Amino acid sequence: MDGHPLVFEAVTLNHGLTLDLQVPAHCAVSIVGAEDSGVGCLGRYALGLERPASGKVLVLGEEIGTMARRHALAFRRRVGYLPAGDGLLQNLSLYDNIALPLRFGTSLSEREIAGRMRIMVTMVGIGGVAQHRPAAVNEEQRRRAALARALALNPSLVILEQPFDGLTVAAAAELLELARGGETAEGSMRTVFIVGQHLPEILRRRIEFCYRLGRSGLEREN
Amino acid sequence: MLAPIAGLGLEVTRRVSELGALARFVWEALASARSLTRAGRRVAFRVFANQLWFTALQAVPLIIALSGILSFLVISQAVRELGRLGATELIGTLMVVAIVRELGPLLTALSVAGRSGTAIAAELATNRVMGEVDALEGMGIDPQHYLVLPRLGAAIVSVSSLIVLFDLVAIFSGLVAAVANGMSTARYFDIVLRSLSFGDAGLSALKGLVFGAIIGTVPCFHGLRVRRAATEVPIASSRAVVVSILFIFLGSAAFVAVR
Repeated sequence: MDGHPLVFEAVTLNHGLTLDLQVPAHCAVSIVGAEDSGVGCLGRYALGLERPASGKVLVLGEEIGTMARRHALAFRRRVGYLPAGDGLLQNLSLYDNIALPLRFGTSLSEREIAGRMRIMVTMVGIGGVAQHRPAAVNEEQRRRAALARALALNPSLVILEQPFDGLTVAAAAELLELARGGETAEGSMRTVFIVGQHLPEILRRRIEFCYRLGRSGLEREN
Repeated sequence: MLAPIAGLGLEVTRRVSELGALARFVWEALASARSLTRAGRRVAFRVFANQLWFTALQAVPLIIALSGILSFLVISQAVRELGRLGATELIGTLMVVAIVRELGPLLTALSVAGRSGTAIAAELATNRVMGEVDALEGMGIDPQHYLVLPRLGAAIVSVSSLIVLFDLVAIFSGLVAAVANGMSTARYFDIVLRSLSFGDAGLSALKGLVFGAIIGTVPCFHGLRVRRAATEVPIASSRAVVVSILFIFLGSAAFVAVR
């Protein structure tokens, strides 16, 4: 389990494809594919938000899809998740969005949360707009806030859905580095699993395993 | 020839299944309260306070206007007409039975359903369409804890408080109407207070609880039922308010029947 924080075992996708994939720890792994390939569901399968027709997904050695709801919710706090389209709550400021997992999932005091938040908003570069609501900032700032929220509980595994769509290459590269969380002797600090329809060429150099999901199945690209 | 009967059967089945889904939703929301952690309670309380601000405090002018005008009109007419028959004593019964016991809770609940019920359904439906509900689940936050329970609690507290406000304004507006039509303040209060009982206050509180629960759950249910299309948002809002109003009337009728 330690070597593979995320494992897809015979997971059925569209067009009769079956996915078998092991995501090694301390690596970034990406899968790109057409919209109708089913690639967009992989993150949801991993978090147990949706169940595949057949097969199973193991996250940190556990199958969230079979857990009782209460346990599944608690377990998901161990995984960072950036959903497609950012998923920020529109009636909260970026600051409150990022602080939400800390307020809900930890017993930290508001003062301790404020301390952590200062570091996080500076780290993702949204210090100047943190008190704005998502509708009042641009797409890049929203994506930065959504990534900060995904990293708020310092997870060892991060699942990113279409994280770089609509961003400049420089911004995408910066977000990828933030998601990786720095380098250790074993590789990146966090395990990063990215799904989407497109990946900028330059990012492939910082992703250890790039796959494409085509009609014939999963093909490694680098 | 059997097609209309089959269609009717299908419709009835659909409605019953929807009712079952609503009952299950309410049960799950209440059951989820047990797993609300201390930290979760703090966050939920903030949402509750926001909802209270919107549902109760911002509705105060509307309730004062509705209650004041209604009571003034009814008592003015009653003092004049009943005065001719020498039956001004009956304005106490009229005030208590018609306004405090029936119209107060009913009109308050209808106002809150129209104002906040639609807003809750539209907000939650938008949350769903924008992927915010899935994002909450993905972060390990139960949408029942963050979205449903605070709204349910706030709706119950709001409707109950607004019913009390409605009744108080109605009594004082009735006083203005009575005095304007030649009745003394002391006599008005004597008549009205003699007709009021603790049972009426208890019944109003119970109605506040039931109508608040309807307004807190039905719009949440319809709002969270939408899937991915923005076109479903207005449909969910409209359905939520129609079903809430229907349940409020049925609830009101049930109270009368039980009494």
